Amino acid sequence: MSRAYRITVKESLARDLSASDEVCSDLEILAILPPDQMAELLRGELKRRGFEENGEKLIRHDDGITVAVDPKTGEVSVKAETADSVELKAQRDDWGYDDVGPGEEAIRRRTAEQLKQDLERRADQQQTRLQTQATEKLEGHLDEVRKELSQVVNRVTAEALKRKAASLGQIKEMTEDPESGSLTITVEV
Amino acid sequence: MLRILRFVFGQVPNEEAIPLVRQSQNRPNCLSPSAVHLVRDTLSKGCILYLVRAGGWKKEQFLRDGQPKAGRLWERSGINELTLEFSRHSMEFLIWLTANKPGETKPMWKAPASELTIADHLLLFLVYEALREEKDIAAFLRCSSSFASNPLCHLLYPGDFAGEATDESLSFDGWFTSTGGLIIEAMQPILEDRWLQMERDKGQIGDWERMRAEGQEQTRILDLFLDAADRANRWDLTRFLLAVLDAILATPDLTPTFWTGGLQGSGPTRLADRLETQRSALAVLRCAERLRQWEQRARTSGFMDDDYAASKFWLGEYERFNGRQSTSRAEGILEMLEPL
Repeated sequence: MSRAYRITVKESLARDLSASDEVCSDLEILAILPPDQMAELLRGELKRRGFEENGEKLIRHDDGITVAVDPKTGEVSVKAETADSVELKAQRDDWGYDDVGPGEEAIRRRTAEQLKQDLERRADQQQTRLQTQATEKLEGHLDEVRKELSQVVNRVTAEALKRKAASLGQIKEMTEDPESGSLTITVEV
Repeated sequence: MLRILRFVFGQVPNEEAIPLVRQSQNRPNCLSPSAVHLVRDTLSKGCILYLVRAGGWKKEQFLRDGQPKAGRLWERSGINELTLEFSRHSMEFLIWLTANKPGETKPMWKAPASELTIADHLLLFLVYEALREEKDIAAFLRCSSSFASNPLCHLLYPGDFAGEATDESLSFDGWFTSTGGLIIEAMQPILEDRWLQMERDKGQIGDWERMRAEGQEQTRILDLFLDAADRANRWDLTRFLLAVLDAILATPDLTPTFWTGGLQGSGPTRLADRLETQRSALAVLRCAERLRQWEQRARTSGFMDDDYAASKFWLGEYERFNGRQSTSRAEGILEMLEPL
């Protein structure tokens, strides 16, 4: 008569997960001055707002959001990153018989394999959740970044216009409305 | 073989020819002079008739040696230029197509790319177009490098190659001079209809991955085509794109949903992937900027410059198809997609 025996298998999985999402676009800056001067103005304005030089680009990190601007090309990228560590454990009991069916070793291997696949699926679900968080974080900040970049473009354009006007002749009058963003320059040529 | 060839030119109905294509025949050891003559006759008359009907009959203006010339295709070019030269590979392909059952033949027929003539490419394209509705046969033909690198197949049916391995040997060089240029001239109406239909069909695409793949393939093909046209100083052969943009952008209040409105669900998880798909859907609008840059270059051409006549011609065409309006509207629609 065959005897049944219970086999308990435990598996664990520890993994560092990370997810990111990013959008890239171009700043629409009018070429009022030569490209290198426009780049310099853009660089100055971004530094004023907390951006730091990193090679050719200016970068600012804030709460998992990284904004990078290339002042020469006007290319902007906004990136959101999230990270997490997961430790998953699983346990399963299985049964074997001493005179029929697969042996204990085979049952242990099969059960361990199934547990590992199960843990991988759960880790993938965590990865998907993390990815969704990264995307939601990015979408949540886009409005704010868009407004700020719009202000940057306006200020750079205004500054470029002032310099251009000064090079054309004598500035007789200049009025600027920071709220509406309008700028009026009267130049005597 | 003759019946299959006549089917390619629309002289034999599908019901008669498709079963012949789908079955295998015994390959003949050789062909009689009469058979070769019939194939040659069918090829020459069929291709000429196709090009005439496609648009060669129309009185149009195209460049000849940098000068615009008006008339029908055979009035713009001398009889010596209007030749289609087929290599032995065309005959070999026809024999292979007749003798073999699609999908069950290894190795797949192919010819060295350097040995295929423009006329060979035209024939391969016509065969592909005739058999395209038979999805399994079309997929089988695309496995051949000779079809995978066929410029006309890619230009007329870029979506068929979307998601497939990119053929780096694909090139439009050679299609803007002599015979190639004449074929592209004749096919302008077909190219216009085809690209217009592709744009209109995008609103029906529900799958995000498919939209992205098709859009990326269109971008790749248009870039290759426009680059080659620029190198050959044959902007006039991209006229069908001006016409497509004019037709699509005739409505002033168009939004990206015209192209992406059919996409199902919320799409990929990542915003970057969703944005890439939506941008890919507007592949044709992106070429408006390129055409505008040509317009600006044309404006700087002076009376004493060699390309003055060609530049003036391009400016005329650009204006005829409301190029500025199209470019402005295209820019507006593309901006709507930008998140920043």
